[in-house]
Amino acid sequence: MRRVIKAAAVATVAALGLAACGSESGGEGGKTELDLLVPIYSDKTKPYWENLVKAFQEENSDIQVNLEVQSWDNIYTVLDNKIQNQAAPDILELDAAGPAYGSEDLLYEAEEIVSPETLADIEPTFIDSAKIDGVAYGLPTVASTRALFYNKDLLTQAGVTAPPKTWDELMAAARKISDLGGGVHGYGMPLGSEEAQAETSIFAYGAGASWESDGKMTIDTPEAREALTFMKEMIDAGVTQPDPGATDRTPLLDVFIQGKIGMIQGLPPIVGQINEKNPDLNWDIAPSPTPDGEPSTLGVADYFVGFDKGEEKQEAISKFLDFFYQQDNYLEFNENEGFIPATKSGAEAAADKPELQVFLETLPDAKFYPATNPAWGATSGAFKDLVGQIQSKPVDDVLAQIQAKADAPA
Amino acid sequence: MTAPTTARRSRNQALRRRARRQTTLHALPWLAPALILIGGVVLFPVGYMIYTSFRDLTRFGTDRGWAGWENYERVLDLGHLPRVLVNTGVWVVGVVALSIGFGLVLAQFLNKRFPGRKILRMVVIVPWAASVVMTSTIFVYGLDPFYGIINKFLVDVGILDAPFGFLKSPLPGFLSAMAVAVFVSVPFTTFVLLAGLQTVPHDVLEAAQIDGANRTQTYWRVVFPMLRGALAVATIINVINVFNNLPILKTMTGAIPGYDADTTTSLMFKIIQSDRQIDTASALSVLNFVVVVVVIGIYLRVVRPMRQED
Repeated sequence: MRRVIKAAAVATVAALGLAACGSESGGEGGKTELDLLVPIYSDKTKPYWENLVKAFQEENSDIQVNLEVQSWDNIYTVLDNKIQNQAAPDILELDAAGPAYGSEDLLYEAEEIVSPETLADIEPTFIDSAKIDGVAYGLPTVASTRALFYNKDLLTQAGVTAPPKTWDELMAAARKISDLGGGVHGYGMPLGSEEAQAETSIFAYGAGASWESDGKMTIDTPEAREALTFMKEMIDAGVTQPDPGATDRTPLLDVFIQGKIGMIQGLPPIVGQINEKNPDLNWDIAPSPTPDGEPSTLGVADYFVGFDKGEEKQEAISKFLDFFYQQDNYLEFNENEGFIPATKSGAEAAADKPELQVFLETLPDAKFYPATNPAWGATSGAFKDLVGQIQSKPVDDVLAQIQAKADAPA
Repeated sequence: MTAPTTARRSRNQALRRRARRQTTLHALPWLAPALILIGGVVLFPVGYMIYTSFRDLTRFGTDRGWAGWENYERVLDLGHLPRVLVNTGVWVVGVVALSIGFGLVLAQFLNKRFPGRKILRMVVIVPWAASVVMTSTIFVYGLDPFYGIINKFLVDVGILDAPFGFLKSPLPGFLSAMAVAVFVSVPFTTFVLLAGLQTVPHDVLEAAQIDGANRTQTYWRVVFPMLRGALAVATIINVINVFNNLPILKTMTGAIPGYDADTTTSLMFKIIQSDRQIDTASALSVLNFVVVVVVIGIYLRVVRPMRQED
């Protein structure tokens, strides 16, 4: 959430107009200087970039990279200040708010800042999901999709032989696991304000819903109604944890890791969390169940963008990004952070890692938030505040309420 | 005779006025820091808040011009506003009344001489000194139905049959948040009242004793009236604090969907954070401000706490 807000703040600054970007010219001794701003995912992020920059400069003595790492909490404010002071970084890594600067004419197009070979290697789903008016500005760095984590022991005890593929199977499996009793719940459904939009999107995308059409937010649709109705049925049947509407994601994942929940949707980094907190848990991953078993899930990606400050730095930027996307460098980055590579070659190389297998398979069918649409911020906020009400209110009312918020003039 | 006298008098007056003006001018450099501070941290933000509430702002903060009463209309049109207003009333009155009640008892107790009084007085400060977000977070974990220690305790002791989701539905969530609000407000209230108790002169109490007043009479007829000033301070500051309290509700009931557990302050936050309507939130903020001023005005008029008892 905070990210989204700050992204909005940054976009504000951009919108306030920075037609004239300062030309902080090329550095001394013919060296091209590149300012690189990246967010911190984990303890491994900063050392990774320091090493990468060092290795890059050894190969390219004519380019100097000034690295700056910021926490996710701070990066939007920092970027905000930089853009206001006409000192935008040359290369920026950010979520989908990064490519959104394209609409302010601040960015190089994706094909200008990376070699055609690298561009061809990137999974097109990710590039397409962050296009602004059909133009790609962002190059995906890390990607993630959601998949169903399940507790093998609980499934076996409940007599469920295979992880559910369809919604009917999900319901049946969750019911059997809940019937085990002893504080065990079949399916973990976090609809609390932390990330309710994600859980909802997994089901709604599965039912074929799309939150945006022709630039308009489309929330109150038959597909979404089908998805929310099924979620409500699960809640009413008592096969989820109690009070899904007010349960946040992070605490609920801990309950899964403690072995008290049969199934829950999660991200790749959760693999690392389980290994760290409860390595004895007997778990596995399966694709997110959908109404008829057709693959579909929610995807999220972060992006590199290059700021066009009128300094003709495309070539240097392209050299650096090509270096980053080199197989070894790129795989190390994703391995450190527990995400899945967004390149085809990276995906092949990561394919022999069993725990990432399922996420990689779901990648081509992943659908993204319409994060480049300015109305998405308020829509996502409305999901967080309101969708949990399906527990006690009719689905139609809740969807209409969210649609109204999404349509509110801003 | 009259004419010159009048002339002299008016000249005198003019002189005096000039002298006064000069004194004011001379005092200005010394007053300036305070004036700038008040202007900068009180008057400007209030003025700016009122100004913003009449502007049409985009969700990115771009100003699109005059909005008239539109933002206020949008606030008053909110379907959940009545419920939120009732919540706000219950929240403020309930928390302040309970804090004052507990504060009176605790202050009376801490005013007695007993071994370890100093240590106990310091212990009482802890909930006040600790960060409110931290305190609320501890309760959030403690009340969790899966691994909350408070829930486990209540089940083990036999008060509950099964863990209860205190913070999972509006009413219990709101009441739990109120309990925490009382918990963090009591120390301040206690110390204000304790300070008040210590100003009660000994000879007055002695006189009451000589006149044959029993303990209850002494308290209600002698001590309590002398606490008026302290009670006024404690009440007003608590009303403002409790009314504007966001962290407790945000941490404890923030995950509950809908607006059934919101006060105007937490609703304002949701309008900014989720709906991205800075202008609407400003309008609500102005209304909030007016309500606080009115409530305190009524309190001062009706209770007349500042009136001196002779």
